[in-house]
Amino acid sequence: MSERLIGASVPRLHDERLLRGDGHYVDDIDAIGALHVAFVRSPVAHGHVTRFDATAALRAGAALVLGPDDIARLTGPLPTIWRIPGQHLGEVELAAHTVRYVGQPIGLVVARDRASAEDAVELVEIEIDPLPQVIGIDAALADGAPLVYPEIGTNVAGEIHFGAPVEDVDKAVTDAPHVVERVFDVQRICHSPMEPHGLLAEWVPSVGSMTVWISTQVPHVVRTGVAAGLRLRADQVRVVAPDVGGAFGGKAVLSVDETLVCLAAKVVGGRVKWIEDRRENLTASYQGRGQRAHARLALDADGRFLALHTWIKGDLGAYPSQAGSGPFQVAGLTVEGPYRFELAAATVTAVYTNTVPTGAYRGYGMQESSWIRERLIDDAARELGLDPVELRLRNMISPRELPHTTHTFLTYDSGDYPEALRRAAELAGQRRKPSTGRIRRGVAVTSAVEVTGFAPSALLEMFAIDMAGWESARVRVNEDGTVTVFAGVISIGQGVETALAQIVAEQMGVPLDWVSVQLGDTATSPYSNLTSQASRSVTLAGGALMHAGERMRARMHALAAAHLGVAVEDVKLDGAVFRSSERETTWREVAHRGWMGWGRPDPDRIQLEEVVDFDPPAITFAHAAHGAAVAVDLDTGTVTVEDYWSVNDSGVLVNPRIADGQIVGGIAQGLGIALHEQVLFDDATGAPLTTTFADYHLPRSKDVPDVVVEHRVTPSAHNPGGFKGLGEGGTMLPPATVANAVANAVPEIAGSLTVTPLTPQRVWELLSDAGLAG
Amino acid sequence: MAHKEITVTVNGVTSTRTVEPRTLLSDFLRHDLRLTGTHVGCEHGVCGSCTVLLDGAAVRACLVLAAQVDGHTVETVESLADEGRLCGAQRAVMEEHGLQCGFCTPGILMSMAAAERDEQTADEVVSTVLQGHVCRCTGYLGLRAAIERHFREREAAR
Repeated sequence: MSERLIGASVPRLHDERLLRGDGHYVDDIDAIGALHVAFVRSPVAHGHVTRFDATAALRAGAALVLGPDDIARLTGPLPTIWRIPGQHLGEVELAAHTVRYVGQPIGLVVARDRASAEDAVELVEIEIDPLPQVIGIDAALADGAPLVYPEIGTNVAGEIHFGAPVEDVDKAVTDAPHVVERVFDVQRICHSPMEPHGLLAEWVPSVGSMTVWISTQVPHVVRTGVAAGLRLRADQVRVVAPDVGGAFGGKAVLSVDETLVCLAAKVVGGRVKWIEDRRENLTASYQGRGQRAHARLALDADGRFLALHTWIKGDLGAYPSQAGSGPFQVAGLTVEGPYRFELAAATVTAVYTNTVPTGAYRGYGMQESSWIRERLIDDAARELGLDPVELRLRNMISPRELPHTTHTFLTYDSGDYPEALRRAAELAGQRRKPSTGRIRRGVAVTSAVEVTGFAPSALLEMFAIDMAGWESARVRVNEDGTVTVFAGVISIGQGVETALAQIVAEQMGVPLDWVSVQLGDTATSPYSNLTSQASRSVTLAGGALMHAGERMRARMHALAAAHLGVAVEDVKLDGAVFRSSERETTWREVAHRGWMGWGRPDPDRIQLEEVVDFDPPAITFAHAAHGAAVAVDLDTGTVTVEDYWSVNDSGVLVNPRIADGQIVGGIAQGLGIALHEQVLFDDATGAPLTTTFADYHLPRSKDVPDVVVEHRVTPSAHNPGGFKGLGEGGTMLPPATVANAVANAVPEIAGSLTVTPLTPQRVWELLSDAGLAG
Repeated sequence: MAHKEITVTVNGVTSTRTVEPRTLLSDFLRHDLRLTGTHVGCEHGVCGSCTVLLDGAAVRACLVLAAQVDGHTVETVESLADEGRLCGAQRAVMEEHGLQCGFCTPGILMSMAAAERDEQTADEVVSTVLQGHVCRCTGYLGLRAAIERHFREREAAR
């Protein structure tokens, strides 16, 4: 074996291409002859569409206009994936005779270019009978609230309870010597990948085939959805994901808008393209987060955690997206984090509002649960006069208590949670700067456990989640000896193709540059349902490739031994040459002979391919402790994050540099939630207020300090590589960590730090209420 | 709509094309000249993905009309590599893991190129170059390291 590749920070395979401007994102595909779509979107938050007249648009030269009646006639609904008990809407309808949010597509125009299509949209005449709208969770649950679906008589879409019976928790809380009770909000977030959504759809009428090039995380889910929506067979639809310019959960389902573009291609019988513009992305794409939680933590006099209950109310928006209430349910499931509680429970209520639907966003419920838990613990420590690190350690699950099953039936596998927390506290303690004048400084550390490698399939079935947890991968030695890897996970900029190539090269004992990785094409990729979301690509596809690479190595050695007429134990691969004591042959010759079918040890196996399906026995849990040092300007309310630390355990790291990039990038997004980003609506009209990047504040370079990342490696026992996921972990803790550091700096407002983002305005108002502002 | 004929030199190649008056430079580069390395991230001048050099100075191609560059010189990310070899800025961004999805990267590289021509110092560039760019993936650490490294190396080479 040459040098180890698993664990090596090799440069990413695709970087050079991207740096040259040779990336191949969906809008870069040569679309000569393609027609372009612009959507007719609802200007109101709620109402019945009573007129849709395309006459003028068609007269002005639009190639096609589709309205609600056409769409209803030509389409079927999209399946939903994760429902909540009581949910009456099991599918996503494509036709909008009733609009339920501003920006909802009512129809579309197809024209020779985008600008002409947008011109023609202006000529489509629509009339909408307005209905009263409801914006925000509390408004939706108020008595007499306007109903998003009057036919069900409530804005509650469904409800589920996890953990101990609520009466038991109520009793424990009532009897407890100390209780901290708060209402915590997490704002809506727009994923804001730098590349918005987009697709090029091509219908070939003569053969009845639909090819969709689309910026997505889930090619097979798109295929299933397009087939359902357009009433096609799955085998008529091919979906290709080219380079994807960021996703973060926002490209994890098929949207109505995207499906309608495919419909347009089918109707015109050719190629049709739509690239979402930034305003559409900020206002009409599915969003993330949006929840309010009523949380109670009961402690005994020594600070032992007696009971935790959270009632999470999640804002589904106008209808359940394909992911629906999934993130809110995960928030409920993961609220215990790395601590012991005598009792714990979560109730999750999903709520309809007249706003764009929500769904997955990086951190998927776990940022929300960390926010609730870590804020509660911090306030409890303050109220009890205990050191917050000591209070955490007193209740933290130790390595010898693992595996540990939570009250919500998650079984943590491995890790050293207290050690990571102690180290984060040590790092934060070393760098503490004093308060000066009107600048107050504070530090905090927090901890979380992360669900990674979302599987196994049987668990998802048990939770009634219509997803497959397994992953598949294929290793092929080509006729010239090069190696091609096919996997169902896809590249969304995270660098997974490099990590997978490293795994295969190491397992086969070949140089990295012999290996290429092919992802993201339903015509050639193994079926994958969840693909690259839920921090699972390396854990699961990598797990499959650990086996596939090892098997292919063994087969090549067996073929070489047969060719050389020696026992397989006598063959060694030395660079590109197989050597035995007397004779030698090349790797390339063995590959050639293999594809010729010559001298095969096993008569029934010819193709030099190994396919492995990997369904792990259980979820593997990563964990992290974070620390933040902040400065709060009492005059302006500005919070500056001066230092940030992460001590992360994601098991065996395939490429530490890529791992660091994922963690730091996740932390930057978490800091965005903590301090900057929020989707806002006008309560009176439901109109989105954050419609440009000038209104929706993404973190800039100056907003992200020089984050320090340290790794701990507790190999997972649930996959052959010892891997745990890390795509989302960075995002989970920054809001709680920053808020707790602000509380440490300004304890006078600690109990009011319940809403993110902590914008200067919000913090200044809290400071003002406490008599501290200038 | 009356069309306008423009003659523009892009990456050293001069060509004459007919454009609509409302055509953005970013769309002209991408769709008329098929130089798709210039990416469109927001179309309102905030994200910086579409940054190109116009007569040597960094501009947002989404805020410039194609008609405005008639008679001028434009450089895009495709011009940076020298006879197939990555330029210093590209190498630094790769070596410091300053990119993930790669969508914002060409614009940042063009701002680095503009800073090189302005003879900005390594101490200046880290804040000036990234002031005008949004990267959603990296958290900027790799980009800051790459920019600092590249300009320190340039200073050392003088």
